[in-house]
Amino acid sequence: MTDKNDPGYTRLDACRRFVESVRHSRELGIEVLDAVEERVTARMPWDEKLVGNPETGVLHGGAVFAFLDQVGGLANACRVFPDFEITPTIDLRIDHLHAPAPGKAVLGRAECYRLSPHVAFVRLEAFEEGVEDDPIAMGLATYMRMKIPREQMKGYKRVG
Amino acid sequence: MAEALKTLIDACRAGEADYQSLVDRVPYARFLGIELNAMGEELTFLLPRKETNLGNPTLPALHGGAVAGFMEQAALIFLLLEMGEPRLPKTIDFTIDYLRAGHYRDTYAECRVTRLGRRVANVHISAWQVRREDPIAIARAHFLLAEETA
Repeated sequence: MTDKNDPGYTRLDACRRFVESVRHSRELGIEVLDAVEERVTARMPWDEKLVGNPETGVLHGGAVFAFLDQVGGLANACRVFPDFEITPTIDLRIDHLHAPAPGKAVLGRAECYRLSPHVAFVRLEAFEEGVEDDPIAMGLATYMRMKIPREQMKGYKRVG
Repeated sequence: MAEALKTLIDACRAGEADYQSLVDRVPYARFLGIELNAMGEELTFLLPRKETNLGNPTLPALHGGAVAGFMEQAALIFLLLEMGEPRLPKTIDFTIDYLRAGHYRDTYAECRVTRLGRRVANVHISAWQVRREDPIAIARAHFLLAEETA
């Protein structure tokens, strides 16, 4: 396939490279599983150091929060791909629906459902690995788009 | 809630134990490196400059998620000490506004309980680096205070 917009690497490559460059995300053990224009899915393994309740072994809400913040940033990167932007978080709300089971990895999924000239709007959810129909957390975030020339933004269409 | 934790809280209040021990019992709080400065019962939380909390490596800036986790943990400990009869708070929701980039330096946080109900507590958290009046992030969170049934 020849495409003049094809940068020679995929969204998944770009996301993995991005996560690799973010020290804290590396510490969280984040692994990007799937990355398409509309959606990113990533995995955060259970780790003793991320436990919030030492009596139950349940992951700290803050770890899930940091994880989803990162996955949201990746969703933005997938929308603007093959361009690249830094998208600092403006605001992020996470509802913790129930605790993830101790020892289980958490999957995070993010969708940038609206990309305006300056702001990216993102929906987030997290669930236990293998239990996709029962989210442990839902979130909503906005991100600021940075460093992209106006003329390059033509042609990006809304998703959904 | 485990008796050991209640005993520890009582010891902290009586000045017989260091408040830091409340932080250090939580693995995630140790992972972030959270420290606690108590002046009497006035608490200021510290997220020390630490490489593992870095996000953007080129600026360099703190990872927003690390700052949020720090603020959530600060609120949890603050609430534990705010309650007459401590019950383990569970985070219902956490909402953060990032106001400035978190530079690669020490970050502080303080909490204010907006309302302490029987089942739900509302907490406001503010984090700053240079001046308290110029927060890098503010957050509000709701915590469930129901006693565990298990």
